[in-house]
Amino acid sequence: MPEVLKAPLVVEFPFTRSLGPVQSAFLTGLRERVVLGVRTTDGRVLVPPVEYDPVTAEEIDELVEVAPTGTVTTWAWNPAPRRGQPLATPFAWVLVRLDGADTALLHALDAPGPDAVRTGMRVRVRWAAERSGAITDIACFAPYDGGPDRPTGHGRAFPDAVTGIVVPARLDYTYSPGRAQSDYIHALAERRTVGERCPSCRKVYVPPRGACPTCGIATAEQVEVGPRGTVTTFCIVNIKAKNLDVEVPYVYAHIALDGADLALHARIGGVPYDQVRMGLRVEPVWTEGARYPDHYRPTGEPDAAYETYKELL
Amino acid sequence: MSKEPVAVVGIGQTRHVAARRDVSLAGLVREAARRALADAELTWADVDAVVIGKAPDFFEGVMMPELYLADALGAVGKPLLRVHTAGSVGGSTALVAANLVAARVHGTVLTLAFEKQSESNAMWGLSLPIPFQQPLLAGAGGFFAPHVRAYMRRSGAPDSIGALVAYKDRRNALKNPYAHLHEHDITLEKVVASPMLWDPIRYSETCPSSDGACAMVLTDRAGAARAPRPPAWLLGGAMRSEPTLFAGKDFVSPRAGRDCAADVYRQAGVGDPRRDIDAAEIYVPFSWYEPMWLENLGFAAEGEGWKLTESGATALDGDLPVNMSGGVLSTNPIGASGMIRFAEAALQVRGQAGEHQVDGARRVLGHAYGGGSQFFSMWLVGAQPPDS
Repeated sequence: MPEVLKAPLVVEFPFTRSLGPVQSAFLTGLRERVVLGVRTTDGRVLVPPVEYDPVTAEEIDELVEVAPTGTVTTWAWNPAPRRGQPLATPFAWVLVRLDGADTALLHALDAPGPDAVRTGMRVRVRWAAERSGAITDIACFAPYDGGPDRPTGHGRAFPDAVTGIVVPARLDYTYSPGRAQSDYIHALAERRTVGERCPSCRKVYVPPRGACPTCGIATAEQVEVGPRGTVTTFCIVNIKAKNLDVEVPYVYAHIALDGADLALHARIGGVPYDQVRMGLRVEPVWTEGARYPDHYRPTGEPDAAYETYKELL
Repeated sequence: MSKEPVAVVGIGQTRHVAARRDVSLAGLVREAARRALADAELTWADVDAVVIGKAPDFFEGVMMPELYLADALGAVGKPLLRVHTAGSVGGSTALVAANLVAARVHGTVLTLAFEKQSESNAMWGLSLPIPFQQPLLAGAGGFFAPHVRAYMRRSGAPDSIGALVAYKDRRNALKNPYAHLHEHDITLEKVVASPMLWDPIRYSETCPSSDGACAMVLTDRAGAARAPRPPAWLLGGAMRSEPTLFAGKDFVSPRAGRDCAADVYRQAGVGDPRRDIDAAEIYVPFSWYEPMWLENLGFAAEGEGWKLTESGATALDGDLPVNMSGGVLSTNPIGASGMIRFAEAALQVRGQAGEHQVDGARRVLGHAYGGGSQFFSMWLVGAQPPDS
């Protein structure tokens, strides 16, 4: 049985966030080495602050300075930090109730090992040297032997408030196209296009998915289709896509390969873009070492009659 | 036991714009929710459950935003559900909320849908590079443009129809203070002269990218009796789905759409939608989808939808106004777009649509679709309760 393909897939994007008034004040405060909470209707102080009262759902915006010192309420040891985590060496994830707050903040505690961490221990903010108005302005917490630090009394409003942040997100996957598509891709390496026929409705799927979406049953019978086909419909793309190394304008077409029961999508070349038409007969153009036909070009045959492909648009 | 009649008694939306940098996601949804409650003259305590929807999480990169939005929507201590059906989600979300009332699970439900496209990247989100696949295209326009060409070939519609739709919808938007695009100097010539992005789709025939939220308060018969303003009554609602691609898929007039409409009409006792429905707010992200959906929804015979558009029947003063609000072509916070269609239908039958009110609108259809034309959701609302 041919090998089922696998490859790493990394999805990453720098998302932006508008903060709104409360988060803006909180993060601007961190930049100024001041931790702000918010007072709820029933008088509790929430750190980190929220915009809406969890009990009454009303807007809350009375910001209150709390101390940069506090008490660990619970923790978990992280023996193998991953990229993007607060510390590169093993550390404890801690929930810290800062002095003056009624709720705990999640952060990292720099400690030599799990034996040095306990619930109830005193800790203090270690500020980052470079601060921009982000939760990472608190580099981490460190063990601290003392009572509450006095608030700075600096107040709650700072000039040049942070109103938005950029949050890079990244997901690492291992992607597999599965058995049927792997077979299809292996056949393409031999410049053959192989679909699969549904044993029930007899439709030939190209590319195959290993199951017929209409009948809901597995497909296995392989059917070689093409190499020639018919352009059933298309558009002319005039926008250059960032991740796509193709000059515009180009034609993006649905092509029903001879013997296939639905169209696949491909680029048309070898003909001026404004001469591409529905019914145009085309064939694949391969480039050395490529997994896919680079594009399809006209065969020179007469156009297919609309009646022959109108169900394959 | 028969279903509980469902009434829309509150509607709220944000003023949709390209970027709401002044509010967080929570602040954005809050604005729409508060307006809906104010319209219904209700408070957070009057709401029994909250049902929200938005497009895929990786558009804004906030995973399961419903968890973090519970405080902002007064949902603490109540059921909070999230619905997820791509672009049709705003419609599906309203229907899930309506079903909770119809089934007498809850008396009053707040339903809301949103998108903050300025903090998102839908083009990127829809075009993730997949190993072993040939990168061919980016964005939704290139996906839908070949289907528009197929419609033009099948129906024999003249090239001019798409621009007529865009010109009509952008002018309707001028009457709607909540619409994103207010192109005061729009002319048909400007639409036609705009750049061809994905031929046959021009720039001015595509939807904008918007930040916005829309909310509705749905309630039972007793709630409707207490409502300060006339309610809109749900006469029929349905959802259907089908695969994105399968042998025999009809992208021009998907079967799921036809079946969904037929279900709604059966529930509402609509024999001939053209005769029995006064106006329709349908999901048209690219102008040509107006004539395509008019056929799919049974307002015109196959191949005849463009004639309705061309004749002016779908204009605000026509006999079947379509997209009175300015439509998706004028406002597109993706996750909210379906609910804005549903809300516009309700505003019309309540007589609350302001400058874009259709005189005598008694029964109005709201429609949404999503994914690769694979999810459909629709409701028909009326000025009178279903049993009257």
